[in-house]
Amino acid sequence: MITNDITGALQLLVVGMITVFLVLLIVIYLGKLLIWAVNKWAPEEAVANKGSKAANAVAAIDATTKAIIDATVSQITGGKGRANKITKL
Amino acid sequence: MEQIINNVYEMTAFSNIIEANGTYLIMYLLAFVLLYLGIKKHFEPLLLIPIAFGVLIANFPGGEMGVYQADEAGRIVDAAGNVLAENIWEMSLPQIAHDLGLMNFLYYMLIKTGFLPPIIFMGVGALTDFGPMLRNLRLSIFGAAAQLGIFSVVLIAIGSGAFNIKEAAALGIIGGADGPTAIYTTIKLAPHLLAPIAIAAYSYMALVPVIIPLVVKLLCSEKELKINMKEQDKLFPSSNKIKNEKLIKIIFPIAVTTIVALLVPSAVSLIGMLMFGNLLKEIGADTSRLFDTISNSIMNTATVFLGLCVGATMTVQAFLNWTTIGIIIGGFFAFGLSIASGICMVKIVNLFSKKKINPLIGATGLSAVPMASRVCNEISTKYDSKNHVLNYCMSSNVSGVIGSAVAAGVLISFLQGMAL
Repeated sequence: MITNDITGALQLLVVGMITVFLVLLIVIYLGKLLIWAVNKWAPEEAVANKGSKAANAVAAIDATTKAIIDATVSQITGGKGRANKITKL
Repeated sequence: MEQIINNVYEMTAFSNIIEANGTYLIMYLLAFVLLYLGIKKHFEPLLLIPIAFGVLIANFPGGEMGVYQADEAGRIVDAAGNVLAENIWEMSLPQIAHDLGLMNFLYYMLIKTGFLPPIIFMGVGALTDFGPMLRNLRLSIFGAAAQLGIFSVVLIAIGSGAFNIKEAAALGIIGGADGPTAIYTTIKLAPHLLAPIAIAAYSYMALVPVIIPLVVKLLCSEKELKINMKEQDKLFPSSNKIKNEKLIKIIFPIAVTTIVALLVPSAVSLIGMLMFGNLLKEIGADTSRLFDTISNSIMNTATVFLGLCVGATMTVQAFLNWTTIGIIIGGFFAFGLSIASGICMVKIVNLFSKKKINPLIGATGLSAVPMASRVCNEISTKYDSKNHVLNYCMSSNVSGVIGSAVAAGVLISFLQGMAL
């Protein structure tokens, strides 16, 4: 009985490890394929990143500085003008 | 007067506890120790506390909160030999609640049906980020190597003669370091061992900060532990730069579920739910309400009932025996071997590859996400304060979740229908 069970356990060891390796290898290559396909046909995030660089630059100007610039523009223009875009030089 | 006092004494649990020669006291002590570990030491408190409280309330004679295990024919017999149910599979749920108590109703409805572990997996999926795995895909293979502990312990357990092959498989799955997977496999293969296996699995997961450093110290040199993954990345840059991570993260769970379902259908209940939870997270705003529900309300509810029911299976009759001690020892071996096999796989890869890998990444091939990765990061920064391996470890750690679920699927599909 134990001999049969040990044979069964050995089979499980071999089949189980092969299956686990096989599934994870497939997952790895599937991941690589997805990355390649998405990079080729839908690299939207890269475009968004380019666009967001300008946004990041604006975000890089802290809130206090922005408030000071807004207040200055408001004072100089008598409250009629406002800063639409602030860019670091 | 004496008669009244006798009746009151018989009404309380004291009479049975005293007659049982202190065995109940051992269970109370165990419950208090688990409560202490959960509350004071913060060892997996979300699960250890419900389990410990389940143990406590299940072991008061007359309380009818302990779970009775049915044999294959559905027959339930209590410790005194009284038949409580001839065939529980033919009883309706209200009848189970009426005849066997509330906890048996919950156990046979939520646990025995295999309902709760996949539900918890769904919540785990919602809390898992596959980003580190996708950014370091080649490291994911160590999640497979670490499953060797599971299958090795099946072999050792059978060799010991103390377990049949189904029980040995349920014991071996502790090496996957994944609570829901261990519980699901045990329910399918050896439900009478659910209590000690669940306790061993969660206790060893809580002891990850102790076990991993122990195995790493035995197997790794200082030079190996100082391998800096970021420097290796600079020397040998990866060709897989991700340009649209959001889209890949949405497609990935769908694709993995499909592949696993085709190769190992018996693992779909776990992997499928894991990936479903993850998909809801990755879609973002459109499914944010569902994501919020599964990662909070549903997962918390499932955790409460899973913990209480598992604890309630730990009655004196089911727990205090030599099999439990065998499971505690075997579980430790399974855990240690899983960590060791992951480390050894890294060492083998390093022999043939120019781009060296820190062996700690192999040590995280078992599940226990993210605690295993955090522990390995602490070890690496101890040797070199600038060497942060957390992101790399998360790759093999997350793939270990998939690996252990696949291993469970193999065990279930091979053994579930087997006659002993």
